[in-house]
Amino acid sequence: MEYSNPEIPEGINTSKGHPLKEFIWLTSGVLASIFAVILLLVVFVDALTSYIPFSVEKEIPLPEFEVGITEGPLPEYLQSLADRIIEVEGLPDEMDITVHYVGDGTVNAFATLAGHVFLFRGLLEKLPNENALVMLMAHEIAHVKHRHPIKSLGRGLIAGLALSVISTTAGDAVISNFLGEAGYLTILKYSREMESEADETAIKALQSIYGHLAGAEDLFKAFQDEKVGLEPPEFFSTHPLTDDRIAEMRNAAEKYAQDNKVTPLPSEFKTWLLTDEK
Amino acid sequence: MIDLIIFLSLLALGYGFGRHAENRHYASIIKREKKLRKLPAIAARTPTELSKPNDSCLVVGSVVISVDYFKRFISVLRNLVGGRVTSYESLVDRARREAVLRMKEQAQAMGADLIFNTKFETAGIHQGNGNQIGSVEVLAYGTAIIPAQQN
Repeated sequence: MEYSNPEIPEGINTSKGHPLKEFIWLTSGVLASIFAVILLLVVFVDALTSYIPFSVEKEIPLPEFEVGITEGPLPEYLQSLADRIIEVEGLPDEMDITVHYVGDGTVNAFATLAGHVFLFRGLLEKLPNENALVMLMAHEIAHVKHRHPIKSLGRGLIAGLALSVISTTAGDAVISNFLGEAGYLTILKYSREMESEADETAIKALQSIYGHLAGAEDLFKAFQDEKVGLEPPEFFSTHPLTDDRIAEMRNAAEKYAQDNKVTPLPSEFKTWLLTDEK
Repeated sequence: MIDLIIFLSLLALGYGFGRHAENRHYASIIKREKKLRKLPAIAARTPTELSKPNDSCLVVGSVVISVDYFKRFISVLRNLVGGRVTSYESLVDRARREAVLRMKEQAQAMGADLIFNTKFETAGIHQGNGNQIGSVEVLAYGTAIIPAQQN
């Protein structure tokens, strides 16, 4: 038997092509599919959640309901404002709004399932007039009107489920984390749309209550004063950037500009904030 | 946000070091393969006709090569979509050739002029969690023919 020992050409057992090229193709392809799948799921979930009766929301127990107070002069004043907003925003009869006041320095306010609206002392302290307060409450009540809390819950659940399936396939902790964040950002994009929708409804409510939009800007300024350090790029944040919102608000205010006299808060407001601390 | 930064740094580290190590390894492999070309390692189970008396001896070469973060990331995405895992191809190619080289170096040190019945064993070395292969081991072994010493 003849034996020869030819020189084997280099690279027959490996693929040519630059690894970075493959990386870009794979990453963009996989991320695009994750976005597409989650967007599709969100559309389905949104369509379905609007069929959940509001009464079902009331049966979902949430522990944070115990935090706020609903009785006393301040909550009663807030509730009376809420009742006016409910009327102008045209909430259906079964949607009750319960306003909770939280004696905490956090600059925050949110609406959650079953029409519970939470207002924090930290934010109320920063509001210079009733118009800003009504703008804030109208925004939160608009979330309830548009069923945003239940939609967010539905989106969170379905996206979490989808992402956990993908992560399990991926196996590696850091990589599945990365894919998870990508999916989460898709949800955030949708949350920002909710914020804009609530802003829009709130502006209309403010316009019908006072006949002008003065003071609404003060609400966003209160948030703006609060921001510390680096502001994340818009893509990473739930709320549209405060600057953008102030600009939008100015546009709207100019559109409806009439008599720009703001209504002051009740004179006892500051005292309430101090004494109602829990 | 911080997760993203950590992740991207890991990727960049993996790509930079992994690529550097791979290029250096390939350069070394090609150089040593040229040097050892005179010592063939063949797969035939029996050696060709031997004209002179010989000794024979088992020779072994083994190597473990680790995957880098960048290669692993590509392979994880491949897990989702399917297709050739090109990032691992060069990894196992290097491991196979390095194992053969080490086997040949051992044979050369013994004064052998041929290795026959060359075989390979491979093993994935797991890192304990999940089904991710962290490193790959390749073991090459064969029978070296050593011409008998003429006293």
